[in-house]
Amino acid sequence: MTNVSRTYGRRDSVLFVVCVVLAFVAQFLPEHLRDPFTAALRHTVLAPLVALQHDAELTRQAWLTREARITARDSVELQSMTLDALNAENDRLRKTLELGARLKWGFVPAEALQGRDIGEEYTVTLSAGSNAGVRVFSPVVAPEGLAGMVKTVDPTMSIAIVWAHPDFRVSAMAEDGSAFGIVAAHEGSDPERYLLEMRGVPVRSTLKPGTLIVSSGLGSTFPRGIPVGTVLGELKTSELWARTYLLRPAVLPQDMSTVMILLPQRTVSGVDGVWQSGRGADAAVKAIVAAGDSLERAARLARGDTARADTTIRSFVSTTERRDTVRRVRRDTLPHALRDAARPAVHADSARTVPDTTRRAPATPAAPAPRDSGARPVP
Amino acid sequence: MRPTDLARTSLAFVILVLLHYTLRPVLGWHASPDFLLIALLLVAIRVRPGHAALVGLLMGLVADSLEPHAFGAGALGMCLVGFGASWLKAVFFADDVVLNALFFFCGKWAFDVIVLLAAHQMSGGALLVELLVWSPLKGVVTALFGLLTLLILRPILRAPAT
Repeated sequence: MTNVSRTYGRRDSVLFVVCVVLAFVAQFLPEHLRDPFTAALRHTVLAPLVALQHDAELTRQAWLTREARITARDSVELQSMTLDALNAENDRLRKTLELGARLKWGFVPAEALQGRDIGEEYTVTLSAGSNAGVRVFSPVVAPEGLAGMVKTVDPTMSIAIVWAHPDFRVSAMAEDGSAFGIVAAHEGSDPERYLLEMRGVPVRSTLKPGTLIVSSGLGSTFPRGIPVGTVLGELKTSELWARTYLLRPAVLPQDMSTVMILLPQRTVSGVDGVWQSGRGADAAVKAIVAAGDSLERAARLARGDTARADTTIRSFVSTTERRDTVRRVRRDTLPHALRDAARPAVHADSARTVPDTTRRAPATPAAPAPRDSGARPVP
Repeated sequence: MRPTDLARTSLAFVILVLLHYTLRPVLGWHASPDFLLIALLLVAIRVRPGHAALVGLLMGLVADSLEPHAFGAGALGMCLVGFGASWLKAVFFADDVVLNALFFFCGKWAFDVIVLLAAHQMSGGALLVELLVWSPLKGVVTALFGLLTLLILRPILRAPAT
C-alpha cells in the first residue's frame, strides 16, 4: 500500500460523528421511510450490480447442477434404452399373441432361456414340459417361423435344439413347391455359423435369392408351411447332382425369447394358413390363375371332343349307310351272281352282270365323308 | 490526492465492487471474501478519516439496501471501519504483506462484530459461533483475497515515482 501523509482534524471528527449518527438514524428509520429509500437504491445504483450478482448466482447454480444434470441425462438415456428394450419386448409379445390367435389350438407358449455356456449355444431351455403336453420332437416355432425342436422333456421344462444345432434337420421346400431339399445348420466360420443351408436340391431346380423356404411336411416332425429361411444364394459344392443354397434363418437367435411349442395333434393336423406371406398369396393367385387356365383348357378340350364325336357319329352314320348300301348291293347282286354262276358257261356274258351289278353300287348315293373325318374310324 | 491517484484508486475500487457482485456469488462460500470491505480499506488509507467515514457510510447504505431488515448496520460498520482504518494508517501502517493482511483481517472482523451487534439478528450461542468462528474465518479469507487483489492491482495502485 502507498504511504499518503494526511492530517487528522476537527473536520474529520465532525464528519465522522455525522456519519455515525446518520448510520444510527438509518438503522432506526421507520419502515415507511426506509423501504422507499432502499427501493430507490436498488433500482438505481444497485440495479446493474444486482443484475451482475443474479447472473453470477445463475452461473454458480449451473456449475453446481452440472453433475446433477449429467446424472439426470444419463438416467434419461438409460431409461430410454430400457424403453427401447421394452418396446421390442412388447412387439415380440404382440407378434407371439398374433401367432397364438392364428394357431388357435394345439400349442403351448413357453419362455426360452438361452444358455451362455459352451455347448449351450444351440439349445434353449423352455418353460413348458410334459405336464403341458410337450413331447420329444415337438416343433418349436416363433412368429417368424421355425425355431427348433424339442429334444428332452421334463415334467415342467424341456430342452430344445435350435436351427443352429449341428443335429438339426428339416425337410423343406420352396414356398411355391418348385424345389425340395433338407435344411441344416451351415457350419461355416463365425459370422456364417448362424446361417442355414438347403442341401439336396435337384439340379434342375433353381432358387432365386429371396425365395422363401418353408417346411415341406415330409417326415412328419414338422408340419408343412412353417417358414424356415430365405435364400441368400447358391453354395458351390462338389456335388454335381444336387444344388446347395445358403439361407438366412427366418427366426434370429434374439427372437427366441418367447416361443410356441406345437403339440403332436397340431403337428398332425398341419398349420396351413398360419404363416401366410405376401409371396404365399402371390403363389395362391398364380395357382388360382393356373387352375382357371386348366379348367378353360379342359372345357375347350371337352368342346373339341364333342365336335369330334359329332364328326365320328356323322362318319359312323355315313359308314353305316355305305355298309347298308353295300349290303343292299350285295344282297341284291349276289343272288344274281350265284344264279349266273350256276348257269352254264355258255352264258359267258352273264359274268358281265356282276360288274354291272358292282357298277350299280355307286348308283346308290352314299353320304360324303366329312372333311374333319380324320378322326379315328369307328370300327 | 492527486487526480492520477484518484483515478487509479477509483479504478481499483470499481474492480473490487464488481468482484464483490460477481466472484463472490460464484464462489458461494459461507466464509466468503468481502471485496466491498477491501475496497473500503483501499480507499480509506488514501483519504482523510472523515472522508473515509463518509465513503463507508455511503457504501454501507447501498449494500444494506439489499437487506432492509438490517438496514443501517452495515453502514455503521463500514463507517467505523473506514474511519478507523484511515486513522490507524497514520500510526503503524507500512507497506508490509503481513501488516496489510492483518489490516484486512482486523477490518473484516471488526466490521462483522459491529454489524452483528447492531443488527440484533443473532443471540446466544449462534452469535458467539458467528463472532468467534465464522467472522475470524471470513477475516482470514478476506485477508488472503485482499493480498491477492493488492498483488494483482499493484500496477494500478503503485504511485508513480516522484
